[in-house]
Amino acid sequence: MSSAAILQAINGISLAALLFLLSSGFTLTFGLMRVVNMAYGAYYLLGGYVGYSVVRATGSFELAMLCGGLTIVVLGYFVDRFLIRPIGGNHLAQVLLTVGVAFVIGEVCLAVWGGDNLRVQTPSYLRGSVTLPGDIYYPRYRFALILFGTFAAVSLWLLYKKTQIGAVVRAGVDDREMVNATGINVDRLFVLVSALASFLAGAAGVAGGAFLTLNPGAEWDILVLALVVVIIGGLGSLEGAILGSIIVGLLDAYGRWLFPELSYFILFGPMAILLLFRATGIFGKEH
Amino acid sequence: MVPRAALLIALTVAAFCVPLVASEFWVTLLMQIMIFGLLALSTDLLLGHAGLFSLCHAAFFAVSAYTVAILQVRYGFGTASAAPLGIIAGTTLAFVFASAVRTRGVYFILITLAFGYIVWGVAYRWASFTGGDNGVTSVPFPALGSLRVTNTVAYYYVVLAVVLLVAAAYRLLVASPFGLTLRGIKSSESRMRSMGYHVGRHLYAAFVLSGVIASIAGVLYVYFNRFVNPTAASFPVSVEAVLMTIVGGTGTIIGPFLGSGIILILRNWVSGFFHYYTAVLGIVFIVTVLWAPQGIMGLLARWRSGDRGEGV
Repeated sequence: MSSAAILQAINGISLAALLFLLSSGFTLTFGLMRVVNMAYGAYYLLGGYVGYSVVRATGSFELAMLCGGLTIVVLGYFVDRFLIRPIGGNHLAQVLLTVGVAFVIGEVCLAVWGGDNLRVQTPSYLRGSVTLPGDIYYPRYRFALILFGTFAAVSLWLLYKKTQIGAVVRAGVDDREMVNATGINVDRLFVLVSALASFLAGAAGVAGGAFLTLNPGAEWDILVLALVVVIIGGLGSLEGAILGSIIVGLLDAYGRWLFPELSYFILFGPMAILLLFRATGIFGKEH
Repeated sequence: MVPRAALLIALTVAAFCVPLVASEFWVTLLMQIMIFGLLALSTDLLLGHAGLFSLCHAAFFAVSAYTVAILQVRYGFGTASAAPLGIIAGTTLAFVFASAVRTRGVYFILITLAFGYIVWGVAYRWASFTGGDNGVTSVPFPALGSLRVTNTVAYYYVVLAVVLLVAAAYRLLVASPFGLTLRGIKSSESRMRSMGYHVGRHLYAAFVLSGVIASIAGVLYVYFNRFVNPTAASFPVSVEAVLMTIVGGTGTIIGPFLGSGIILILRNWVSGFFHYYTAVLGIVFIVTVLWAPQGIMGLLARWRSGDRGEGV
């Protein structure tokens, strides 16, 4: 492999780390409550903007991620409780409603932060680059992002597979009524999972805002990538979100590098072919 | 109740008279309402009759618009060949994207959304062919031999005639056994399957036919707008078309046009004094879903039948 190819591989993996933060929440909330929330892209963007302002005010990147995430936890709770819950299990209504929410959030962001491309400032210890064998210089921040994404994936996986809460969530994904019948309050469980997903989306905005830019329209660009991740991986599957993120991240990086004009084809082509053979994605089940 | 035929004739006559009494602003707005109403109608063939929620119809709309624009501006084609080729291009794409009917429910929604993004991405990134962000500009008015459209009012009549023709054909289509089968599939797919209907083939055909209508709307749009850029293929256009259908009322012909009228008049009015129109649109989405999921036509039907209750 040439050094350029290696560079693109690392680019792809770092994008994958970011996509995982966003798509894991989407896929788990769908799995548990069958809720399609198209506002996740807007959550990402708003979280990123809040983080941008926090970094400018305090200079702390960690605090920015925390604030970005918590803002979305609060917002996400109200959207779930007062908008999504009343309409029940109708996917059409959920999509239209959450698209509407995303439009409103996007315009509020435009009004507050303007239309320029903004970038969250990275902390000083993550600036600069590292040198890899073969004289490849690579931004240190992106390596940190890969580590953070891996850490998040491993902890989520452990939480999901090895703890009692995870077992209940998995049971809820498989058969919600049955779990309800055993006396576990699935609605309350959902609030917990949804809060986690919202936090990840908001924090992802801050992390992504430091190497992609934050601008009006970025919410849809990132949402569509996250959707492809969950379509490829399978809705409701955490493993699917991990594998799907890596596939989409790599396809995007290599597609942009090799065929810049047709990169969207490179990204969606494999998805379309996969769907012809397996409509529910790699790990998905019928819903 | 006014006989439906009389109402339709009155509406048609009124539509023909508008340019005689109204200013050019209203003629242009009405044209826009008809074109996007037609796009909304194309999504309603799937949503209102077959129960499929597509988020990629801007793709057919834009591909046919781009085809016409590129053929006319760069290759000197006339309207007589460019317009049919535009519709053929959009329809061909519909044949490919119709593979989405293998899936249902949320998968169908997400897949059509991703399909729509492919077209937007190509229009936006393949700048050497599509003109990128600027798109294709200075598309001429349509002309057939010595028959030329030279002004907005003349084009208004072209749009009106095409929309009426398509609406009449649409009426025949949904009243046919084919339309009946689609509604059967919508209410119970498994029953239709066990009765021996080829559900997949019917849905595939419905998807392609709705792609044809969206492509016709695309041709009307490019001659109306006189240019086309990636915005025509963008996600908001697709989702707005569905919103128009729902605001007006699904499963009807007049509903999508009514919805288109409401949304576009609202846009014109709000944009005049408020910079953040999209936020207002977002609120329309939320309000429609929460309080008027059956749309205006649904509210009318309920009012006519005297039922003021909550049940639908």
